[in-house]
Amino acid sequence: MEEIKEKVREFVLDAAQRKGLDSVTDEESLTENGVIDSLAIFRLVSFLEDNFGIRIADEEIVNENFRSVNAIETFVADKLSKKGSPVGRGQ
Amino acid sequence: MAYLLHQLLSTSASKYPNHTAVWAREQGLSYGELDERSNQLAHLLRRRGIQKGDRVGIYFPKAVESVISMFGVLKAGGVYVPLDPQQPAQRIQYIIDNCAIKALVTTREKLRGLDPAAIATVKFSVFTDRMNGAGTTATGAPWEELAGFPTEGGPEDLQSTTLDLAYILYTSGSTGRPKGVMLSHQNALTFVDWCAKTFQIQAEDRLSNHAPLHFDLSVFDVYNAIEAGATVYMVPDDAMLFPATLAKFIASKGISAWYSVPSALVHLILHGNLKEHNLERMRLLLFAGEIFPVKYLGQIAELLPKVELYNLYGPTETNVCTYYRVDRTKLPSMEKIPIGRACANTEVFAVDEKDQFILPGQTGELYVRGPSVTCGYWADAEKTRKMVLPNRFQPHYEEKMYRTGDLVVLREDGDYDFVGRRDSQIKSRGYRIELGEIEAALLSHPEVKEVAVVAVPDDEVSNRIKAIVATHSGATLTASHLQQHCAQRVPRYMIPELIEFRESLPKTTTGKLDRVLLASER
Repeated sequence: MEEIKEKVREFVLDAAQRKGLDSVTDEESLTENGVIDSLAIFRLVSFLEDNFGIRIADEEIVNENFRSVNAIETFVADKLSKKGSPVGRGQ
Repeated sequence: MAYLLHQLLSTSASKYPNHTAVWAREQGLSYGELDERSNQLAHLLRRRGIQKGDRVGIYFPKAVESVISMFGVLKAGGVYVPLDPQQPAQRIQYIIDNCAIKALVTTREKLRGLDPAAIATVKFSVFTDRMNGAGTTATGAPWEELAGFPTEGGPEDLQSTTLDLAYILYTSGSTGRPKGVMLSHQNALTFVDWCAKTFQIQAEDRLSNHAPLHFDLSVFDVYNAIEAGATVYMVPDDAMLFPATLAKFIASKGISAWYSVPSALVHLILHGNLKEHNLERMRLLLFAGEIFPVKYLGQIAELLPKVELYNLYGPTETNVCTYYRVDRTKLPSMEKIPIGRACANTEVFAVDEKDQFILPGQTGELYVRGPSVTCGYWADAEKTRKMVLPNRFQPHYEEKMYRTGDLVVLREDGDYDFVGRRDSQIKSRGYRIELGEIEAALLSHPEVKEVAVVAVPDDEVSNRIKAIVATHSGATLTASHLQQHCAQRVPRYMIPELIEFRESLPKTTTGKLDRVLLASER
């Protein structure tokens, strides 16, 4: 679980820094504060797909799943458990 | 015929008092309510000292109160200035000071984010966020205070004319500071009237509002909805970010007319899963602000076979001045979409370097004349003189024309094609960006010696922003430092995504930065 969160945090922090912010908490709303814009969201989706070997459908790219680091982690963990693939060994 | 924007509301409110005028944040506001609240706000503003021509800032995330505020300020004879809630405080403060904003309609939270010393011209604020027990003070009026003012009719005896300013829209400035484009009731109504006739908006139409209120696309969304007795639906925050959510919103609200930058539509096509939704009610798709790649437009045309598609063109200084109705049969063979021909009540022409009107096949700079043309930039006579010029092609009486700085080519069929800019203004996601403004922000960092900001063309967002930076020796600057530095000075969409550090920047033989070389590098 921590591995997922670490990777997600790393990506989100990088995206935040590009927007001039120096830190992001796990619970804060990424979407409300403009930390991730619509372009960054799709880069994040590619990142998650590549790193965790999951497939994310367009209908799943919604606020509920991406609103915070915690939300993203829950979403990814959920997909992985359904898939049955080992955590952190993405294709 | 209306000669003031708020007359559009009075007329529609008397015809359709119970029809929904605005929908935002799960809340609907009827024409009757909109008319009454804006009357009350207008009286409140006058009572508190707002006089004809005073500037009032509108500074909060989109809500039904946004439209109440626009009409309230207009009815008080004021000039509203939409302030983007997502821009850094420094930029907002600059704008407030630049046009001496006297009052704000805002939230307590947004106001707390501004430095009081930097907004000394603001005498009071009206708060749209409800706070229990919040009283009236000399400097703050809670929204509840509106209830104490008359609902019937706005302030009278203002002697307002169509030439009076209605709003000021600030756009990116090449020397680092945003410029305030002054727009009168006549400027706005010239556009609104043309839209009403061309697009035949009806009371049953549902217009989306995607563009921020400081972006002139929103003038169609709000005022053409009001003019027709239709409803304007403000796109919620999550739909702005997530295309799948946006597609659902458009379908569930039954949006019939959409106007946005092409980027938003491209995003919707690529990731919105449009095929899964019922978009039967959509009849009109307008786009403006940047070039629309034909391949994506083709996809939309195929998906929505009954929708009318229009490319609209025009700088903030003139709102839309030319239009092109997409001919679907010609689409497969088109390389680019023309910007078209002049709207009604507007004249456009293009001249070459010898100041001659161009002939078909030739390239020239586009000029605009007519009642949609701005009278200039707030408190910037110098810049105004450069762009809003006496019409030297018509010597019999004094009139102005606007030089767009855009190069166009005249086609045989009379439509114009957009060729490019004369200077270093670019579009990214439909936003107008002066590269110079970003350069100025970067140069203000003490460790930066030289900087050049260039545009890297991109299919999805027109351009990405790249900065090439040379620092003073001994500097330990990182890209992240500079991005943070920019974040305090310019809107997020202007922060360079890519930053490259070099020892020095290439120069031309005359010692100027070789921008051509820099732009051509990969």
